[in-house]
Amino acid sequence: MKQDFHTMLRQGKFMMPTCVSCGEIAWPPSANCPRCLSATQLKKSVTTGTLLEFTRSHVTGKEGVFGLVKMGDIRIVGSFDNRPLAEGMKVKMTGCGLLDDGTAYYRFVPASTRR
Amino acid sequence: MRRVAIVSQAGSKYSKDSGKSIFDLACEPCAKILNNENLDKTHLGAVLFSSCTTEQYSSTILSELLGIRPQMSQRIDNLCNSGTNAIVSGYSLIASGLCDTALVVGAEKAHSEGNKLRWDVTRGSFMLPVHWAALFAKAHMRKYGTSEEEMAMVSVKNRGNASTNPNALFRNPVTLDEVMTSRKIADPLKLLDCSAPCDGASAVLLASEEKAKKLTDNPVWIRGIGQYTSSASFANATVDLCSVEAAKVAAQGAYKMSKTKPSQIDVAEVHDAFTILEILAYEDLGFAKKGMGGKFVQQNNVAINARGGIIGRGHPVGATGVAQVVEIADQLAGSAGKAQVKGCETGLVHNLAAAGSSATVIVMGTS
Repeated sequence: MKQDFHTMLRQGKFMMPTCVSCGEIAWPPSANCPRCLSATQLKKSVTTGTLLEFTRSHVTGKEGVFGLVKMGDIRIVGSFDNRPLAEGMKVKMTGCGLLDDGTAYYRFVPASTRR
Repeated sequence: MRRVAIVSQAGSKYSKDSGKSIFDLACEPCAKILNNENLDKTHLGAVLFSSCTTEQYSSTILSELLGIRPQMSQRIDNLCNSGTNAIVSGYSLIASGLCDTALVVGAEKAHSEGNKLRWDVTRGSFMLPVHWAALFAKAHMRKYGTSEEEMAMVSVKNRGNASTNPNALFRNPVTLDEVMTSRKIADPLKLLDCSAPCDGASAVLLASEEKAKKLTDNPVWIRGIGQYTSSASFANATVDLCSVEAAKVAAQGAYKMSKTKPSQIDVAEVHDAFTILEILAYEDLGFAKKGMGGKFVQQNNVAINARGGIIGRGHPVGATGVAQVVEIADQLAGSAGKAQVKGCETGLVHNLAAAGSSATVIVMGTS
């Protein structure tokens, strides 16, 4: 399933491995449900969430703002542009994919300015 | 269960690039430990090799290079937490009666591919340890008012302590101003808030009580162990970015097993891979009240990272946990040189891996 998650990610689609038996989301992605160990299948994910914490990286090649987002039942580290951010802000995923070196990326922007 | 002692311990000089192979590095501290006329090194119970090296069959190769034919030869790999995992394995083999002795060796090359965790897609494109550490730091600053200066003082303290450690990677102290003005890496963390990967090795010889009495007059006892793994990913490591859940659980286990309270700890090696982690450790280990870690940096109740910690000594990933145990064993055995804490009887090691997703806490004592 992880391969499938990455296959979809490469196409710019964020699909969550979801348990066919109990509905649990397998995150990080897995072919098996971490709760009941049944098989998972990819399902469309919610793409909005809450920004829990954010900061800015100055690492060469990895510059930019990034933050931890709670999106449904999962938490994920996304990248942001230079729009003002605040902890607790609603955010939405606007893109995802794989970089040339195979590293995943998830792009977010503020969904609204309300907290 | 049988009691388990550390009967000897040794480290090597850490460096950015030793020019040595992983096995030459690993043999170095072992040569000091095995030079004991009462030890029959050809028949050691176990050789446990802690490393993230990509070399296969490494514990067995190391055994052969050291001239040892052990009952058991195992390699333990758990990223930065590998070393104390190997100590726990050695303890278990001896306590259970499967072995009487275990040589635990940690060694790493600075730029081994094995040091990198590539699996964790929850981190997105911000895969480096400094990225999750920066989020921990931001959260603690926001919730508890911890300042960049308080974090910087961890580095000032540990780099100062490392100046007395002949094996340390960094032997030059740094000032608060130097830390604060060092290059930004991931806000609020700067270059001198971070430890550095390096080449290095450390080793300890563990033994049963009966065997220990034949090998040394000055054993150091492993009195309590706690471990916990909450996840492998950053996303699931801890709900609250202001603490490391695995460390809190591990500490409770080690305190309970050793019948020890945080106030009884005289010396501690805590996992300061980043300055914020030492502040979180103060709180997770019960030395400081929640949220007060930043204010605890300059206390004098317990000697923390007295020979430099990871920031001062360097961070050879698979060797780090073993090196922490070596430091506390040296303190309790009275062989810590210029950094010796007088009269210490109880010590603690706190070792983390991968965003604090797993942790080990070990309590050691002179009795």
